[in-house]
Amino acid sequence: MLQYLVRRLALMVPVAFLVSLVVFSLVHLTPVDPATLILGEEHSPQAIAALRHELRLDRPLPEQYITWVTNALHGDLGRSVRTNQPVVQAITERLPATLELGIAALAWSILLAIPLGTIAALKRGSPIDVLATGFTVAGVSVPNFFIGILLILVLSVNFRLFPPGGYTSLADSIPDNLHRLVLPAITLGTVTTAINTRFTRSSMLEVLRQDYIRTARAKGASWRQVIVGHALKNALIPVVTVVGIQIGQILEGALVTETIFSWPGVGKLAIDSIFGRDYPIIQGIVLTLAFSFMLANLAVDLAYAWLNPRISYA
Amino acid sequence: MKRLAVGIVGVLFLSACASGGTTSTGTAPKSGGTLKMAIESELRTLDPVKSSQRVERQVYYNMYESLVTIDASLKIKPGLATSWQYTDPTTLQFTLRQGVKFHDGTPFNGDAVKFNIERALTTPSSPRKSELASVQSVEVKDASTVVFHLKKPDAALLAQLVDRAGMMLSPAAIAKGGADFGLNPLGAGTGPFQFVEWKRDDHLTLKKNPNYWVSGRPYLDQIIYRPITDSNAALAALRTGDIDVASTNAIADKDIASVKSDSSLVYKDTAGVGFGGFEVNSGSGVFADKAKRQAVAQALDRPQILQNVFFGVHVLSHGPIPPTSWAYDPSERLYGAADVAKAKAMATGFTFTMKTPNTPVSIQEATLIKDQLGKAGITMNIQVEEFGQVLTEAQAHHFDAALVAWSGRIDPDGNIYGWFHTGGGFNDGQYSNPQVDSLLEQARVAADQSTRKSLYGQAQKILVGDAAYIFIQHDPAQEITSSKVHNFSLIADSIDRFAEVWKG
Repeated sequence: MLQYLVRRLALMVPVAFLVSLVVFSLVHLTPVDPATLILGEEHSPQAIAALRHELRLDRPLPEQYITWVTNALHGDLGRSVRTNQPVVQAITERLPATLELGIAALAWSILLAIPLGTIAALKRGSPIDVLATGFTVAGVSVPNFFIGILLILVLSVNFRLFPPGGYTSLADSIPDNLHRLVLPAITLGTVTTAINTRFTRSSMLEVLRQDYIRTARAKGASWRQVIVGHALKNALIPVVTVVGIQIGQILEGALVTETIFSWPGVGKLAIDSIFGRDYPIIQGIVLTLAFSFMLANLAVDLAYAWLNPRISYA
Repeated sequence: MKRLAVGIVGVLFLSACASGGTTSTGTAPKSGGTLKMAIESELRTLDPVKSSQRVERQVYYNMYESLVTIDASLKIKPGLATSWQYTDPTTLQFTLRQGVKFHDGTPFNGDAVKFNIERALTTPSSPRKSELASVQSVEVKDASTVVFHLKKPDAALLAQLVDRAGMMLSPAAIAKGGADFGLNPLGAGTGPFQFVEWKRDDHLTLKKNPNYWVSGRPYLDQIIYRPITDSNAALAALRTGDIDVASTNAIADKDIASVKSDSSLVYKDTAGVGFGGFEVNSGSGVFADKAKRQAVAQALDRPQILQNVFFGVHVLSHGPIPPTSWAYDPSERLYGAADVAKAKAMATGFTFTMKTPNTPVSIQEATLIKDQLGKAGITMNIQVEEFGQVLTEAQAHHFDAALVAWSGRIDPDGNIYGWFHTGGGFNDGQYSNPQVDSLLEQARVAADQSTRKSLYGQAQKILVGDAAYIFIQHDPAQEITSSKVHNFSLIADSIDRFAEVWKG
């Protein structure tokens, strides 16, 4: 088990750098360079040349990449070409906001989806099943920017229940922080809630048909015991897989959600950096995302073993 | 699916029932309070020497001060300098305000002026360098007198000094800030508000400068700037009172009508200092033929563009000098109305490509232009690209036409010289006319404003006639505030200054 863990962790480093190489090439393939974007309308040719030189963008690409990798291995991801802020600082100061939003979105998605999916499966064909299925179709089909704008329009502008955007850190005020968290978390979590509900429902239906459920019932176990103790635990295996993948999806959804709600997280930073061709920041974010995605996958694999004792990595 | 559709209609109906706000009245200024302002994008730097974004000036003007400033009619008035005079055409002497201290407690004096101007001139990639190109050296005569020695006369220099090129920052604070100065400029200004903190993508806070040299100002305790890039979100924040002020450009033109009709909000505007329309490449390709450029200028129905693309919020443009400038001549009306027959007589049956930034408004504008020109037998292809790409190709002169506008400068020189002088820094269209060059050079060295006005008038008449650029609109400078915000001064440079503003 320990050996497995070490091997998986060690594999992450080359994968991360492979990802960074691909991203580096892709970003530099796009025709616009940051100096033009930074100077914008003050784009006189002399100013652009001077800025390119200052940012070392006039060096050959392989040299730029090798410099970056060398520094990265020493823990230095460089500085933003737009703001001159150290990349590590730029990401770490925004990470708490994104983590909070991501966890909240995932949490409400799991807390709602698993009971809803289970009930829908148990009461198949009933109005509550129809409602749950309807919700899953709508949740998957409606893009989250639309949900976000709709929530702002109705709950913020008309009913004044929640602020339309912005962020207060937990350290400043916990109630205000939570108040501002509600709408973005709902926006970001809707798609995953819909998917998880569907997965729980179908997986549950499948498990309920299994022999061991009938055996457990025949042995006189209570309905509650059978559902919670036998069925649900087994039904959750595919759901856990999906949730693992969804961590990536949540990070991707954060790009849009953070922009709509002016949420100062990594997603918004990523959007601004891509539009501004802020290479060092883009690289830093991709590296961070690659690691978090791989860690999430690892956590999913470990969770399998816990949910189903027949799976082991010895 | 039907059920879902019904649900959405229901929600839209609910949202249509907008609730009203409150209005407040009061005349006596009230001290205290926090003002929250939405800016249309995040800033890049708080160091004026590095700045290249218009939005950065929103914060600078409340924190830093320049030697000279402007009033609502764009006339130069004293700032950190109480008076100035040209002792000869290349020697400009300033008398400095006494007793002014930077926020870090160090004194503002002649040495600080010399330091700041030299810093702007020696920072290689600084956009300020070209703005101060006429400055040879700065001499500190005594504690209250500095002299600018110029390479050649420069009538536009004072106007350049109003903006970032003339902002005075504490040398001690800059030294202390080091590489991170642009992110954390503690104690660097002399202005009504001082820097507190900047949490990027979240907020930037300024607080009242208790030792401000104008006694009794500012009224506000604090300003919090919030970057809100999504115009719908900015409008929602304004409506719910989450912000008090939205900067020019933060609210989309399509929503201005609803802002105007909301009694809890205040909307005013005036023509801004810039110009919009599109660049045409006079140097090569199809538009090297002047008649074809003129045909395009003649065939355009500008009022239709203003109405349909800009929702009537922008002002019709007749040239690079906006109506708010002292150099504006209202009698100039070349290509005033669309005239298809006249355009066809000039040139017809040719094709060109318009480089169009990939924003919905630009694409809409290009589509309408294409349609209008089509009536005059001119075929326009629309090539949509990212804005940075449009800029790069325009600068390399690889284009026929490009939708690139100019945010404008308060002095007419800043709107004309770089754009239309042969080889100018922003002359993407390679326009070159010796007569225009000579008029612009004369205007640069003429000391007298009425002479300059007449010279710019002549230059404008020629370059607009030549269709060196196809002028369509002047963007507005806007006041968009809650009705709780008082004493707001609307200035054409669209920068919101809060020293005199109070909240009640």
